[in-house]
Amino acid sequence: MATLTPARAVTLNALALGAVALVLAAAFAAQLVLHELPCPLCLLQRIMFALLAIGPILNIRFGPRPSHYALSLLVAVAGAVVSTRQVLLHIMPGDPGYGTALLGYHYYTWALIGFVAAIVLIAVILLFDAQFAPAPAAGGVARMAVWLVIGLVALNVLSTLLECGFAACADNPAVYELLKRGP
Amino acid sequence: MEFTALFLAVAVVMLAAWRGTRRWALSLFAATFVACVATYLHHATDVLKLSF
Repeated sequence: MATLTPARAVTLNALALGAVALVLAAAFAAQLVLHELPCPLCLLQRIMFALLAIGPILNIRFGPRPSHYALSLLVAVAGAVVSTRQVLLHIMPGDPGYGTALLGYHYYTWALIGFVAAIVLIAVILLFDAQFAPAPAAGGVARMAVWLVIGLVALNVLSTLLECGFAACADNPAVYELLKRGP
Repeated sequence: MEFTALFLAVAVVMLAAWRGTRRWALSLFAATFVACVATYLHHATDVLKLSF
């Protein structure tokens, strides 16, 4: 079996952060370009994707450890449960689904595929024991990937605050609550 | 509002994982994860507005 050195494992984790950033950015792009506000379950799936990044960040900072991968596995299973619930909400024939489909699937279906893919990929990476040795300090690309994900989550804080305001989020949001003009 | 708080909590966990101690990051992660699951369970018990 090929050797996955600690340095290569850190690079893989930086790539994983890039994948999480891509998912969060794509969701943001759909929100801004299509003017479709995320529903509560959609927001929870975004949050789960963001939480998925904690394991890779810890791996880059402290070196690869099985416990860090376990965190991501827990989050991926929880994320799959959330997205499965939303898929089932729209499973009936004739249901148009929530939001616009991208390449034939809605965001929550892509999310379910993403979470299941994460579970499989993490399990495969855990097969390589050689990575669990002291790792070198993270390089510039890995550090940039960490700050990119943190920046995207910070943007989501702002966006969700604008969307929901200081009350519970609407089931089918149509306007940003904090940008709404008074009567 | 709860989702804004959850996103904020995730951002704090990320900063703790990147800048703080490992123990602190793991503790914050556990608290945020439990809050996410609780939020899901709260919404999962809503009455379903089925489309048929």
